[in-house]
Amino acid sequence: MSEAPAIRVEAATKLFRRQAPGRHFRTLKSALLEGSLVGRATEEETITALRDVSFEVARGEAFGIVGSNGSGKSTLLKLLAGILRPTRGRVLVDGRVAALIELGAGFHPEISGRENVFINGALLGLSRREIERRYKQIVDFSGLADFMEEPVKNYSSGMYVRLGFAVAIHTDPEILLVDEVLAVGDESFAHRCLRRIEELLAAGRTVLFVSHSLALVEGLCDRVAWLEGGTLRAVGEPRRVVDAYRQAVAEAESAEHQRSKEEREAAEAAPAEAAAPAEVLRWGSGAAEITAVRLLDEAGAERYHFASGEAVTIEISAVAREPLSDFVFGVAIATPRGVECWGTNTDLEGYEPGSFSGPATVRVRCPALRLGAGEYQLDVAVHARSGSPYDYRRKLVAFTITTPRAGVGVYAPEREWRFAGEVVWRRRPET
Amino acid sequence: MLSILRELIARRGLLATLTARDLKARYRGSVLGFLWSLANPLLLLAVYTFVFGVVFRQRALTQPYSLFLLCGLFPWVWFATALTEGTVALVANSALLRRAVFPVELLPMVAVLANLLHFLLALPVLAVALLAGRLLGYPVGGWSALALPVVILLQLVMTGGLALGLAALHVHFKDVKDLLANLLALLFFLTPILYPLAAIELPALTYVVRVSPMTPFALGYQELLFHGRLPGPWLWAQMLGVAAVAWLAGAGLFARLRETLVEAA
Repeated sequence: MSEAPAIRVEAATKLFRRQAPGRHFRTLKSALLEGSLVGRATEEETITALRDVSFEVARGEAFGIVGSNGSGKSTLLKLLAGILRPTRGRVLVDGRVAALIELGAGFHPEISGRENVFINGALLGLSRREIERRYKQIVDFSGLADFMEEPVKNYSSGMYVRLGFAVAIHTDPEILLVDEVLAVGDESFAHRCLRRIEELLAAGRTVLFVSHSLALVEGLCDRVAWLEGGTLRAVGEPRRVVDAYRQAVAEAESAEHQRSKEEREAAEAAPAEAAAPAEVLRWGSGAAEITAVRLLDEAGAERYHFASGEAVTIEISAVAREPLSDFVFGVAIATPRGVECWGTNTDLEGYEPGSFSGPATVRVRCPALRLGAGEYQLDVAVHARSGSPYDYRRKLVAFTITTPRAGVGVYAPEREWRFAGEVVWRRRPET
Repeated sequence: MLSILRELIARRGLLATLTARDLKARYRGSVLGFLWSLANPLLLLAVYTFVFGVVFRQRALTQPYSLFLLCGLFPWVWFATALTEGTVALVANSALLRRAVFPVELLPMVAVLANLLHFLLALPVLAVALLAGRLLGYPVGGWSALALPVVILLQLVMTGGLALGLAALHVHFKDVKDLLANLLALLFFLTPILYPLAAIELPALTYVVRVSPMTPFALGYQELLFHGRLPGPWLWAQMLGVAAVAWLAGAGLFARLRETLVEAA
């Protein structure tokens, strides 16, 4: 079909103004002078809900939007519905829109369901006669025939949404915007809604569908967009986009899990001789304690991202709880899967312990840390020469190494290639 | 400003529906219903008649004083309640604005129209009172009352413009509501409602009285209803002028701030 798209979003950006006390005059000034709340606001004064989002939805297409909470899905839907306008860029919607965003928004709690149907229909752009004609269908669809004379304040939240959905879907929209409303009604109502959406699609209507139910999005939509932090991460075939989104969610969750675990371990500051759960991250007698570990770059700034071959300093802050004459500081680097990359300690490196009797800082500087690209974790310990630990801390610090070119493994030596004989190379086209 | 007027006319069906919703919701479950909207002005009438007519025995006042008072009081109550409710209309309905595609200008107008309806429903009371005055031999009322719709229309334009402007400002400054409440209390006494304009002896004061946008309208109603004559051309010009300025300023301000209202409300 060479028809114009039903929806075209061109580099849409939406900024919101932060509500700050005492800024009312500035806000009003900018509103008066520029007709906008964010016209000349600085970066700190605004929140970017959407940044340079562009896509098209063809007529008759079922288009899904996925993304975590706060990714900008609802803002996008409000732009499409015409409730909000983009700060920059354009949003073109061609056709009569029904937005199932917050259903029953115009309902007045004090008056009856019947009267509210008429008011809500009028809000959605129907004439009184059109509503009268569809009234019976609306009531049948909502399944609330017995409650129509009751003021809607006596409705349950499910009933409220059902009536709102029933009115909205009977406005005969050319473009239907659905925001996570199917989650509210009961199972049978959700099925009825889905059937109705499928009917609309079969009739060539366009449906834009926001949902956290990924299976539903995958099953219903022709194409899916994935929004993250206000930018469009991917648009395309549902399976591929939803999988990419699932993958990202899983990674974020495992990182979260790891972090909370470490926080929990750190909170139990007492030396752990307690019965070990699956993985113990800290143990020792407590005669000495490691209080902090930081990674520093050559300029002395704290960093946890390094390029392979950069100078890295591991800084250990420790304190002896009692005077010690037998002590060793050790460090070890491993991958998250437990592959030991490197480890050493002051004893192996030839330092004879003298005395350690209070706070101390130990630094070990690697002028060129040639690890392969990937994530690494650092174990740090202070223990007696016998190996009996004072404080042993595993996976205390995580850091990332990047390399300019991809390679495999945990080691990335300095290297150069030389060729001789009957071997010829051509210049790579790109970059 | 004209675009707002166009929008209001184009969506008059919705405007009527919303006004009806407003009134229905207000009186649902109350026994006396809209009669309550009469209670406050009638109470005021009783109080002022008692204070000025009975306690102070102001013989200088136009007679019959209660009738004179009534002619200016009902329009004032419309003006004051419409502005009070219109000012908060956007903020009070912010949930609706953020969730539905909605012509924002309708909301302040709904408040103005709902209170216009109260005013119109109070007119029979006024008519009965004037008739009673006539039967008692006072020369009140008459055919001039037929020009009433024109004055009402002009007051509608004036009140509507102010309500739009105040509503838009209130979105940005929540002080507007309180400022307005105090200003209205002041304006009530500045407007010749409790006293005839002729009762002011200091010439400078007659100019101060003109500060109130309601002054020409109060005078207009008094001419039409109490004195039973058509307002002079100068008074018509004043009503027209105030209505035009109020609409241009209020609706203009609203139009300027329009894009920011949904987000800030």
